[in-house]
Amino acid sequence: MVNHGLVLDLVERVGAVARHGTVSVPLGMGDPEELGATVEAWCARTGNELVDVEGGVATVRKGRSPDPIAELPADMVPGTRLWMYTNFDCNLACDYCCVRSSPQTARRALGADRVRQLATEAVDAGVSELILTGGEPFLLPDIDELVAACTAVLPTTLLTNGMLFRGRRLEALRRMDRNRLALQISLDSATAEQHDEHRGAGSWDKAVAGIHIAREEGFRVRVAATLPYEQSHQLAPFHAFLDSLGVAPEDQVIRALAHRGVADHGIELTLESLIPEVTVTADGVYWHPVSADHEDQLVTHDIFPLQDAITEVRRRFTEIRARSTAAAQWFPCA
Amino acid sequence: MVGAVAYTPNVVPIWEGMRDYFADTGSEMDFVLFSNYGRQVDALLAGTIDVAWNTNLAWVRTVAQTDGQCRALAMRDTDTVFKTVFVTRSGGGLDGLDSLEGRRLALGSQDSAQAAILPVYFLDHEGPGAESVELVRINSDVGKHGDTGRSELDALRAVLDETADAAAIGINTWESIGREELMPGAFEAFWESPTYSHCNFSALPQVPEERTGPWLEHLLAMDWDNPDHRPILELEGLRQWVSPQLDGYASLFEAVKEQRIPARW
Repeated sequence: MVNHGLVLDLVERVGAVARHGTVSVPLGMGDPEELGATVEAWCARTGNELVDVEGGVATVRKGRSPDPIAELPADMVPGTRLWMYTNFDCNLACDYCCVRSSPQTARRALGADRVRQLATEAVDAGVSELILTGGEPFLLPDIDELVAACTAVLPTTLLTNGMLFRGRRLEALRRMDRNRLALQISLDSATAEQHDEHRGAGSWDKAVAGIHIAREEGFRVRVAATLPYEQSHQLAPFHAFLDSLGVAPEDQVIRALAHRGVADHGIELTLESLIPEVTVTADGVYWHPVSADHEDQLVTHDIFPLQDAITEVRRRFTEIRARSTAAAQWFPCA
Repeated sequence: MVGAVAYTPNVVPIWEGMRDYFADTGSEMDFVLFSNYGRQVDALLAGTIDVAWNTNLAWVRTVAQTDGQCRALAMRDTDTVFKTVFVTRSGGGLDGLDSLEGRRLALGSQDSAQAAILPVYFLDHEGPGAESVELVRINSDVGKHGDTGRSELDALRAVLDETADAAAIGINTWESIGREELMPGAFEAFWESPTYSHCNFSALPQVPEERTGPWLEHLLAMDWDNPDHRPILELEGLRQWVSPQLDGYASLFEAVKEQRIPARW
């Protein structure tokens, strides 16, 4: 026997809830598969969404879930930018490094072949900007090859501490494409004290020198500061200093210190709170560059095909947002 | 100020969306929600609201209480082709209004034009006469003129439960249950009425055309293909706002007169 009243119940109950609200409708007597298919067909016909069928009850959302990706600004859609960790070793050992980089950290290099393939696939996947980071990328002997593979296909940004621009590394810098590459140099304060406290004695002087060198070599330079959240409102002196170095206002980037890696405090960043930035390391694809050394935000070990990885990040983001929305609706007042 | 009846929680996002659509246009609007059409029409007559989003019965009663001194401004495209559908169990053997003679017909709320007033009219004018049919009246959600659809669903349940042989429902309810297609073996339609008009925006002459004109022009410009407009149109059940088709109310005016339905309640 088929429950012919099921569709009548669906019309009545779904009609009584607000848009995007969910309602449970018992399937009643009959073949559960057949009844589930009826609910699915009714939802498809009426523009509602079947959330699930479990334990003889169908959960239906009035209307369809808003698409969280469609609601993002175009430049924040996951996969618009592709981050690549070229290596994890570094000449510094900053006490807040989110990926635990230091001179003792294993290199775990992505390598020229994979960077080249990623850059090529990125174009087909709709990526509009490539970002290379580490570790300190200028420790790699072939950094100029990696950068060339990227700048050949897309605008590229290279993150560095700016401290190694001399000798063969300066020569490597000079071989890079000034028209397609921006350098993002880390600098945390307008004076040496705060910067050196976290990044090591003498590092501020070298970073500032690096900014001058990069600008003199004709590169666009962004400066990125990592600051504790509580200091994020005291930025006027820092911006004034960067202005004096000739760094354009739009190239002055302030990032909040994250409680990740070796940082013992900072803002907590989770899958739920982070809009993903597709990030590739030698170990796999991660949710965001800030979590590229953490299993909890590993998306997949399979780097290729890149399009599949981007699709999977978007799918998970949509799923997480839908779950968060549902949880917000379920939160009881009493 | 536009009045509307709150028959579902989604009335709020519909009219908030409409208010946003009219913001900064020179014909801004706000809205008031009523619990039933009786008080909404009272508010229109008293000038508390400038425009009422009325059902066809509320329009007929507005006309009656103003001696015709009122205007219909616009309606949904779906309001111009409304129908009543008579349905029975699949294989029930009914093949037209005449076959209802001596049988039980479930009707919806007494103030629903599509599920109560016009079905009786159609029985009288195109069938065996309402007196020769046993009418099973299901008066749920009275005051909302059948907008909730609940009484029509209850009429269909009466057919499934075999406490009625047939039910008269609006075409919108028939569509919402997927016609005969989603529940094979459950229902079949055996008669569909001629089309008639349903809801409209009603206004009194005290609101001059200089005020309603620009508002109406902007209303008619809502575009199904515009992603900002689409959600409102979907929730309100139309693809396009259109000029009113007043001829479509003739059958209801006649039915109200014949059935001696009062102009105010």
